[in-house]
Amino acid sequence: MMNDKTKSMITEARDMAQSRGIKASIHYHHENSHLMRIGNNSVSLNTSEELTRIDIEVIQGRKKGTHTHLGELGSAEELFNVVLKVSEKAGQSAEMDYEPVLTEIEENVVTDLQYDEALDHLDPAVKEQVYSSIFKEVGEDYNYSGSWSSGSTETFSVTTANRNAAWHRLTDQQFMCVLKHPEKMWELASWQTGWKAGDVTAEETINEFKTILPVYENNEGFEVEPGHYKVVFGSQAVGELIEQAAWTGCVGRSWEMKMGWTAEKQIGDKILHPSVTVLDDPTNDQIFSQPLSDSGMLTKTLTMIDRGKLSALLYDRNTASKYGKKATPNAGCLVLKPGGGPADLLEAVKDMDRVLYIPAIHYMNMPNQSKGIFTGSSRFSAVLVEKGKIVSPIFSTRVTDQFETVFGKVLALSSETISVNTSDTYGRRDPGAVSVPTWMLVDDVKITDCADSF
Amino acid sequence: MSVFNDLKEAVTRNIGRVMDAGAQYCDTRWYEDDSSEMFMLLDGNLEGNDTNVESGLGVRVLYGGAWGFAATSQISSIDTCFDRAMANAVSASMLVKVKLDMGLKDGHTGSYTSPFKIDPIDVSLSDKVDFLKGVDDSLSEDWILRRMIQVQLQRMIIHFWSSEGTYTRKKLINTFAHMSAFALDRDRQMQRRSKSLSCETGGTRGWEMLTNPALWSGHAQRIKNELKEVLAAPEVEYGTRSVILLPGQGHLQVHETIGHPLELDRILGYELSYAGGSFVKLDSFGKLKYGSDKLTVSAYGSITNSPGSFGFDAEGTPERDYLLIDKGVLVNCLTSRAMISEANQRAGRKVFTESGGASRSTAFYRAPIDRMTNVNILPGDDGTLEDMISTTEDGIIVDNPTSWSIGSNREHFHFGCEIAWEVKKGKVTRVLRNPSYQGHTIEFYNNLSAVGDESSWIVEQVENCGKGEPNQVMELGHGIPVIKFDKVISGERR
Repeated sequence: MMNDKTKSMITEARDMAQSRGIKASIHYHHENSHLMRIGNNSVSLNTSEELTRIDIEVIQGRKKGTHTHLGELGSAEELFNVVLKVSEKAGQSAEMDYEPVLTEIEENVVTDLQYDEALDHLDPAVKEQVYSSIFKEVGEDYNYSGSWSSGSTETFSVTTANRNAAWHRLTDQQFMCVLKHPEKMWELASWQTGWKAGDVTAEETINEFKTILPVYENNEGFEVEPGHYKVVFGSQAVGELIEQAAWTGCVGRSWEMKMGWTAEKQIGDKILHPSVTVLDDPTNDQIFSQPLSDSGMLTKTLTMIDRGKLSALLYDRNTASKYGKKATPNAGCLVLKPGGGPADLLEAVKDMDRVLYIPAIHYMNMPNQSKGIFTGSSRFSAVLVEKGKIVSPIFSTRVTDQFETVFGKVLALSSETISVNTSDTYGRRDPGAVSVPTWMLVDDVKITDCADSF
Repeated sequence: MSVFNDLKEAVTRNIGRVMDAGAQYCDTRWYEDDSSEMFMLLDGNLEGNDTNVESGLGVRVLYGGAWGFAATSQISSIDTCFDRAMANAVSASMLVKVKLDMGLKDGHTGSYTSPFKIDPIDVSLSDKVDFLKGVDDSLSEDWILRRMIQVQLQRMIIHFWSSEGTYTRKKLINTFAHMSAFALDRDRQMQRRSKSLSCETGGTRGWEMLTNPALWSGHAQRIKNELKEVLAAPEVEYGTRSVILLPGQGHLQVHETIGHPLELDRILGYELSYAGGSFVKLDSFGKLKYGSDKLTVSAYGSITNSPGSFGFDAEGTPERDYLLIDKGVLVNCLTSRAMISEANQRAGRKVFTESGGASRSTAFYRAPIDRMTNVNILPGDDGTLEDMISTTEDGIIVDNPTSWSIGSNREHFHFGCEIAWEVKKGKVTRVLRNPSYQGHTIEFYNNLSAVGDESSWIVEQVENCGKGEPNQVMELGHGIPVIKFDKVISGERR
């Protein structure tokens, strides 16, 4: 945990900047990260990183400069000297056509509601034991790989706009296990997430693998002909789709710049199926929440798509300033509301002749953002379902379609929700997750290619 | 005593300590300086004016056939960092089916500095801003809705020590830049045309590279002209035809469908839970007909001024120039020491004789993994772009990616591009918009029908190749001529 000396160093440096009339924010980010990587039934990497970064932003009228320091800083004077350098940098910058906005922390925040000491200091032996028991229970003839990232992120933010400070600490973990058949080459995957030790269990993954394994063991792969199909997207796929759709369709900057697929739409327009409601909801305890927005406001629930209608866009502080809008108190806690479908997806499709179940979309990208066209391929545990029975695994199959079509032709959504971890670890630890129904059934999805292998 | 001498003494002492405690191998990377600057001009506004300064130490220990890694930005806690790396290796060794081995090597010393004239980090901010504003101005037109200039400058000083007695010092300089112009087409879809900074044959990597108009800024008028044509152009119709890839697109095709599937850690299954695997198997080498006889691909390629050229890899192995694919046949891949040791062990024969020098880490706080260096298609004998157009009956020429989506084993792919030129009966007939194409890797490269000569060969830079867990971004290069493929599905199915 951040010590008082570091806290004092940062607030003193803020005070020094304030007394010199410098408009600055200082943001401390500390991560204690551990990751165990599994390859070929072995631990292939067991890694720990303890890193402290200081982010500084200085605004001078219509100019700004930012700087990140990762390394040792010993005193308030030393930190203030870095602030001075950033101030000099801002001074030499170019004027913009709008005024950048300094974060103004609305009130003092001290929160670690999603922090678990046991997860922060989880013994790597626990992870090794979970993977070992999966291998043992499911069968040691398969090839296993995976990764389990866990750790804590602690932030402390101050700005010269006022005397408030925000301290936030949380823990997170992301678990994945891939089972590959050594000869037939198909792959199954299991994902788990959470913020407490014990949220990830060997049993959950063992049960998932044991349920789907007979289908893969006893049936040959099915090559899907290009065309239009009913598709059940699993939670990982729904998470990926809704995140991309919201990022390119519900963010003010992309809308103002005419870059996104909603650029030609107005607030109130019907854009998706009435069963689709998308929120930014920091009160959802399934996902990692942030107490403050980038502008320093206490985060609140916002509805971006309300029963299929575009109802609000998210504005960060600078986009709001540039386009004369009000910044929104967004937290980046994306939620797709559940529907009324049964928890068991096979029950939902029991009367349907042919349905593809695609649990995850690999390597999704957008060839045309204006039209919201996305493309990606099926990978893990994808199967063909007929009359509610899993018939066979399917080969690597490409979906190329539009958000408006896919979220416009929703036939049913599960009533059960799940958290999908969307964190990546490029650069710094930055936990993220979305809450989505466990499955989404969509009519008329365009399949554009299929390999003859998994 | 200097910081360097103090640190060297502490590293040497700690390496000795973990080796005495039973480690098979240990290495340490100290990033004395890892500085970068990022600039982003959006519609003339300097929205990004960012510096990033990192310094710290990463320690890797091999114990009982398993890797442990730890990193710290607090140089004062160096002993603790070694202890954590050792403890992580010991813990990892509890679950090891295939014991990793580095193979024995004698230690060596060496140093490397990227070729440069002006260190880009040392150029004054006002000079940088003035230059970038000038480039932005050259993109400005009433009909252009958005302009974007992105520049990234890097300077790294990296020291490496290993338990074998190897010491290397590297000073790496990188300069990356992109400019893009955007406008709405007749259907109010946003279209883009862009140009990235490419390398000059035999050139340097400093600020002088960025300010050489031939490599970047001098292309502003061309991309504006091409964007204007795209706005009014018809869409590429779905169908099967020849596709000619200009280097702006060809380099990413090679990156995704030759570079990544030939990383040995992917082939061995160490990336399955994240980036994916590879359709290549250990028994593919010397046998797999990856492409037509026109396809010859090298690693590194003795390109001196690319971000994929770095003197010594993250295990101290000197960079090597060798063939990956020789006249269509797969002969080698991108390798590091531990991976070739394991591959040879698994195959029961010597598939690989020595490390390809492809072990790389993105920062002091990431463990090295197998990465691309420069992966290059060597020039062919099918002449210039014009020569290739003249022999094309029905095709499109495409440039610069808008999207890329690749199958998990790199067996199939889909690319979207910024622009296409239609070719009919040996002539360019018109510009087309929203081009895309897809294919299956082996079939696609076996339909490689023409490879341009040296006049069409360019080294393109990539600064954002993602791989590994924890995630790592890497810089590299691709030398690439104009290349033509036949029987390619292009355009989007209705």
